Amino acid sequence: MSLDAIPIHVINILPAGPGLTGNAPPLLHEISELLRHLLATGETAAIDLSALPLTPPDLDWLHDKLGKGEIAVILQASGESTLNETACPGVWWVTHHNEQGAVTSQFIEVAFVPELVKAHPQDVASGQEYLELMIADL
Amino acid sequence: MQGPLIDTLVRQGVSRRTFLKYCATLASMMALPPSAGLAMAEAMAASRRPSVIWLPFQECTGCTESITRSHSPTIEGMIFDMISLDYQETLMAAAGFQAEEALHNAMKDNYGKYLLIVDGSIPLGVDGAYSCIGGQSNLEMLKEVGKGAAAIIAVGSCASFGGIPKANPNPTGAVSVSDIIKDKPIVNIPGCPPIPVVMTGVLAHYLTFGKLPELDDKGRPKAFFGETIHDRCYRRPFYDQGKFAKTFDDEGARNGWCLFELGCKGPVTHNACATIKWNGGTSWPVESGHGCLGCSEPDFWDAGGFYKALSVPADPLKIGAVAAVVGAGAGVAVSFANRAKKGAAKSAHETTTLADLEK
Repeated sequence: MSLDAIPIHVINILPAGPGLTGNAPPLLHEISELLRHLLATGETAAIDLSALPLTPPDLDWLHDKLGKGEIAVILQASGESTLNETACPGVWWVTHHNEQGAVTSQFIEVAFVPELVKAHPQDVASGQEYLELMIADL
Repeated sequence: MQGPLIDTLVRQGVSRRTFLKYCATLASMMALPPSAGLAMAEAMAASRRPSVIWLPFQECTGCTESITRSHSPTIEGMIFDMISLDYQETLMAAAGFQAEEALHNAMKDNYGKYLLIVDGSIPLGVDGAYSCIGGQSNLEMLKEVGKGAAAIIAVGSCASFGGIPKANPNPTGAVSVSDIIKDKPIVNIPGCPPIPVVMTGVLAHYLTFGKLPELDDKGRPKAFFGETIHDRCYRRPFYDQGKFAKTFDDEGARNGWCLFELGCKGPVTHNACATIKWNGGTSWPVESGHGCLGCSEPDFWDAGGFYKALSVPADPLKIGAVAAVVGAGAGVAVSFANRAKKGAAKSAHETTTLADLEK
C-alpha cells in the first residue's frame, strides 16, 4: 500500500540534506515569538543553542536562514566573542570562543542591544576615574 | 578572607565582561536558563572565598588531571580564585610536615564550614592498609576531615561509587565516600574522569546560592546528570528514524548514525558529555564515532561488555522475513545471510565487526 492511499497531506516538509535532523526550523517560530514579546514588553530573551540537539549542519542551516545584519560586534575577553546582528534586527547570533578559538557556548539573543555590549556603571565609574587622573597628569 | 571576588579578579586583570562571558557559558552548561548567567555573575562577583580541602585516596590522579588541564586554564583557574584551596597534595608546594600542618590549620580555622573534595575510593581491606597518607589510612583520614566539613564533594566514579578499584573481584575492598560518611551532605560527581566544568559548576552553584545543587537518587547534581547521554545526543534523531551504524566503518558510521547497536550505553548513562563535550568543546566519544561506555554509572566496569548492545530493537518486518527463510531451510538461510554480509562488508570496506570486538 502506498502512502497515497492514506488521506493525509504532509505540510511543512522538513529540509533534507546530510546531517539535517529537522530540529532547526521550529526555532524560527520560537524566535519570531520572542521578537513579538520584545516589541510588546521590552523584555529580552535568549536561546541556548548548545542545549539543543542540533547538528553542525542544522546550525549552518539556521545561520543561513537568519542571514547577516548590519552590525557585527567583536568582544576580546579571554578569547573572542562575536555578537552579530542577523538579517532580522533584534535577533543576535552570539558565539563565545575560548583562547584556543574553540566555541564554548552559542546563543541567539533577542534584544535591542545584547547585554554584554553595554558597559557596567561600575566600570564606567572607574573609567572616568582613570580619565580624571590622566587629565591631572597633563 | 579578602573582599568581593570581582575586586580580586579585576586586580588580576580579568574584566567584568570576561567574567560575564564565563558565567553565561557556565549557566549554559548547567542547563540553567540563559538569563541565569547574569544572576550568577552578580552573586558570585560579590561572594567571598570558602576554604576547600581536597583529599586524594585510591585514585589515578585522572580526575585532578581532567580539572587542572581543562581547555582554558585562565577560565577554569578563575574558579580556583573563587575558593581557597588549602590542601591538595598534587598541586601544593608544601610537603611532609608543612603539608599536614596546612591541612590541620585549614580544618581548625574553618571547622564546620570548609568544603571537602575527595577523589578516589577508600579501601577497607587489611584495615585500610592498601592506601595510607602520612601513616594514616584513608578511612581514618576521611572520618577525621569529614567531621568538620560543611559538605563533601566526591569527584570521580571511584569516590562516588567505588569505581575501577571496586571492579570484580575488588581486591582492596574499595568503597565509596557515601558508604562511610552518613551524616553529611554528599555530592557525587562521577565520571572517569568527570567533566571539569561539572565540578566547577557545583562550586559555582555553592558560591552563587550558598548551598549545594539539587541531587538525583544517586547523589549527582541534576543540572548535569538529570538527563541521559541518549536524550541529549545529536545522533538521537537517527535513533528515532531507525538509522544505525552496524560496524565502526560502514555506511551508517560514515553518515554519523546512531551507535546503539555497537554497544553505546548512552540510553542508560546520566552525564553531560553530549552538551558540554570534551577538550574545550572539541568533541566527545559519540561525536568521535565511539559509543558511550557509561563511565558515570555505578559499576560500569562490570556492566557486561562495552560493545554489547543494551538490547536489539525489534524490527517486525525483518523478523517476519527471517522466519520465512528459516521455514525454507535454515542451513541455506545462514549461508545466504553470511554471503550477503560478506558482500556488504566488501562494498563498505568493512574491517571491524561487532563480532570481532566481542571475540
